[in-house]
Amino acid sequence: MDACVCADKTQLHLDPRTKLFMVFVVSTVVLVTATTPFTVFLRTLITFVPLFLLILEGRALSALGFALMYGVAMFLMHFFISQNSSGIIMALLVGYCGIVVQFMPAMICAWYMVKTTKIGEFMSAMQKMHVPDGITISLAVIMRFFPTIKEEYGAIRDAMRMRGIMLGGGNPGKIIEFRMIPLLFSCVSIGDELSCAAITRGLGANVKRTSTVEIRLTSMDYLVMAGFLLIAIVFIMAKYTEIL
Amino acid sequence: MNNKLKAKDFITVGLFTALLFVVEFACGMLGFIHPYIVAAYVIIIPLVGGIPMMLFYSKTEKFGMLTTMSILLAIIMFVTGMGWLGAPLIIASGIVADLIAKGGNYKSAKKTILSNGVFSLWVCANYFPVIVSASSYRKDLLKGGYSAEYCDNLFRAINSKTAIVLIIACFIFGCLGAYLGEAVVKKHFAKAGIV
Repeated sequence: MDACVCADKTQLHLDPRTKLFMVFVVSTVVLVTATTPFTVFLRTLITFVPLFLLILEGRALSALGFALMYGVAMFLMHFFISQNSSGIIMALLVGYCGIVVQFMPAMICAWYMVKTTKIGEFMSAMQKMHVPDGITISLAVIMRFFPTIKEEYGAIRDAMRMRGIMLGGGNPGKIIEFRMIPLLFSCVSIGDELSCAAITRGLGANVKRTSTVEIRLTSMDYLVMAGFLLIAIVFIMAKYTEIL
Repeated sequence: MNNKLKAKDFITVGLFTALLFVVEFACGMLGFIHPYIVAAYVIIIPLVGGIPMMLFYSKTEKFGMLTTMSILLAIIMFVTGMGWLGAPLIIASGIVADLIAKGGNYKSAKKTILSNGVFSLWVCANYFPVIVSASSYRKDLLKGGYSAEYCDNLFRAINSKTAIVLIIACFIFGCLGAYLGEAVVKKHFAKAGIV
């Protein structure tokens, strides 16, 4: 449950709506495959902004990890792999680098949003954007649950290792069953506790909810949004007119 | 019993969507081994995802649960970079699955299995961009640094001709996954008194 211990320590704390906008732009841009050096540059740029923001929020280590992974994949993709590569190792590399280059930018951005947004802030931002309550609640639960699932899964793996069960005896059904069932058990009970806790705090009551966190768009937010919008427009123009 | 989704149900929906996404993500990582595995998602994901889905079916039993889940999946797919082209398909399969399950009042085992088969079609939605824009997608992949071998394999497995096969396979394995999931849920969760 280490989801949101950061924030407030730094100067630059963006509004959740800005982060959502960033996620939106990055997800749109990564849909389009970058082909020319210029578009590759823009893609890389758009990837490094959330990394930079992660560092500002005091998560330099995970930013470094992401940067390394992305950098290595980019490097391999552009210098080692060509249209004519073949062979098993090359095929693995192509698959791996392809996935990383294709999905990492959006992943990093989503990770940045999830890690640096408090649930309260997120809920209040969604409410300000008039998103239906059901979607907001579910999304908030999803955001909050990824770290929990990871933690629980780690615990299950430890327990399996302690009892000397490595892969479930090589039976694919068992491999999945041994991991999935305990995970479901713990997640369901955590979910039940979570809903009890949330309902006692008035979630789902028929009134407009107020929030203790005040969210406000600052000039920095507008700056970041404008920057991202600009990159997106330039990217799409460069892609479809192929001038650059 | 009140049949509208309440806050508690939305929390359950969120929880199971997160679990389903983890399943999808874990299976998706296998895709880098070979493009054929990308095509085999239609088998792996519905089969593995059947277990949490069946638990989800037995825990909520209200109209709208699958629709909400499909909207959330569409949002997650978009955010993780799979695009918005598949989103209408994901949501449509969610609504249809919801209607089928409602037809059985969320109790009928047959309707639930059928419903999960339809719901599993969300996996196919991820291929949508590959199929729709095949030629330009291929060109982009090649320019973007993929090897020709990988592209050939990918498009041999996924194209407009195999799409029908993939969709049918997805539906069948969705039903099969539901059947297996039902058995697993009975074996473990009914015994423990959770459902």
